Amino acid sequence: MSDIPGGPMANRPVHFIWLLDCSYSMQGEKIGQLNYAIREAVPEMRSVAQDNPAAQLLLRTMTFSTTARWHHQDPVPVENFTWQDVQVDGMTNLGEALQMVARELDTPPMPQRALKPVLALVSDGVPTDDWKTGLRAVDATPWGRKAVRVAIAIGADADRTVLQEFLGNPELQPLDANSPKQLAAAIRWASTAAVKAASQMVAGATDPLAKQQAYAPPVLDDDDDDVW
Amino acid sequence: MPAGVTPVPLWATLLESVQGVNKTRNQDYCEVQGRGTAEEPLIMAVADGHGSAAHARSHLGSRFAVDLFVEEARRFGALAQPPGDERPPSLAWLMHYAEHAFPRQLVSAWRGRVLGHWTRTSSHEEPGVSEEHKVLLYGSTLIGAVLTPRVFAAWQLGDGELTVVDEAGQVTVPLAPAEADLGDETESLCTPKAWRRIRTHWAPVTAPWRAPRLIAASTDGLSKSFASDRGFLQFMAGLDDRLSAEGADSVRAVLPQWLARASRHSGDDTTLVAAWHQGDPPVPGPAVAPEPVAAPEPALAADPVAVPDPAAAAGTGTGPARRPEPEPEPAEQPSPATTDPAPPTDPHGRDE
Repeated sequence: MSDIPGGPMANRPVHFIWLLDCSYSMQGEKIGQLNYAIREAVPEMRSVAQDNPAAQLLLRTMTFSTTARWHHQDPVPVENFTWQDVQVDGMTNLGEALQMVARELDTPPMPQRALKPVLALVSDGVPTDDWKTGLRAVDATPWGRKAVRVAIAIGADADRTVLQEFLGNPELQPLDANSPKQLAAAIRWASTAAVKAASQMVAGATDPLAKQQAYAPPVLDDDDDDVW
Repeated sequence: MPAGVTPVPLWATLLESVQGVNKTRNQDYCEVQGRGTAEEPLIMAVADGHGSAAHARSHLGSRFAVDLFVEEARRFGALAQPPGDERPPSLAWLMHYAEHAFPRQLVSAWRGRVLGHWTRTSSHEEPGVSEEHKVLLYGSTLIGAVLTPRVFAAWQLGDGELTVVDEAGQVTVPLAPAEADLGDETESLCTPKAWRRIRTHWAPVTAPWRAPRLIAASTDGLSKSFASDRGFLQFMAGLDDRLSAEGADSVRAVLPQWLARASRHSGDDTTLVAAWHQGDPPVPGPAVAPEPVAAPEPALAADPVAVPDPAAAAGTGTGPARRPEPEPEPAEQPSPATTDPAPPTDPHGRDE
């Protein structure tokens, strides 16, 4: 008698997509620190996922340089996710990356029944292709419009205007990472706060008054001697 | 039972609500009462307070929504079937009232209630807090239904489901939006001019013997626990089967476990109210004459739902049931007067 009728039950997925700049300007310490920071952030992401048992956190990684490519194409449950280092390659084709992500944000392949996806963009430079068309493609998808977006600007040469447009919300600012310590903190924040925001069961967001985001970036200490 | 009197089916009611995982309090509220007669219309409502810091008082907003819906629904029931020899209004007038006046009155009363609560419970008026931001604190969805001997009417603002299982076992969700919101976004009572976003279902009673077996209202914590919409409809069909096979008491005993399991998957507060009846189709007595139906029934019309004969005196439903709400509420102020557009001028006009 206690068997519940109906179809199968399932937790709702939260799709988290890293968008990582792997252009030559990231060569050296930057790419090394980025790999290290993401690898170190994975256990914290698992911890956040465990605190939100009704959400299933799925990870993917897109890199962009001379071309854009999926580093992890299929969504991987965070419990099974292991970081594989990314390598630098050439230009900064952000637009191509955004186009590829937009295709994944369509429904299908994205399910109708999901929590907001998270798009986390990390870049240290200026896009070398038509990034605006790519961003429009993301904005044209229902899930792209609703996505929780975070942006991390590495070093002084990062184009903050592009990152600001990517965020699509004047109340949000890209998070500056001007040192290895700041990058680690920024990655940690993006990995956890954005996931929390996406997996919260918050309703009423269609009300324009309710658009204050719960994942405003923190102020990072800048006491590192090694500054990019 | 006197000859010629149609028996009233027994309406058994279910009411259960469980708190979501990691939630500090249950933001849902619900109510089901009545027998489906002219004197005691069957009334049910569920409301889902939004939660989160932006809607810090939404557990009160959902409670106000349900309480005020019950008041409006009683008024609607009295309009549909006035006591004594007073001639009832036409179905066309009632439909217009349900579609236009009812939502405006309900939203207006809710806003008045929450603003009154704000005024009474805020020790100091914070400068610069607009009325809209005060109302935002109480944001909630609402689903409510009224079943009278003449009409079945239901209203929905925001997510959740109103489900009807007809006498043939067909499961429908007549207030489902054409396109569901993605994620956890939803329409809300706190939205400016919220009455415009209320969806209305209207079904005149044309054949009393075709009463639905089951009417249910549930918050999205239930439907979102299933991997697909189809799984939710299967749940409702299964609920109807269990009620038919084992009776309401048996289902009532396991309903908390079902909802708790659903809540673990959806992560949300999960609430279900339902009214179900079983029995052979009553033999129409002389007092039961099909009423002319307003024609044409526009987009509102969907699945006609029959109700038991109001003339009958036999049979009882379950008494009023209500989820306990431990938090005391300060004394209420009367709701403000509404400015609803007048329905058709002749409430007693012919329906043809």
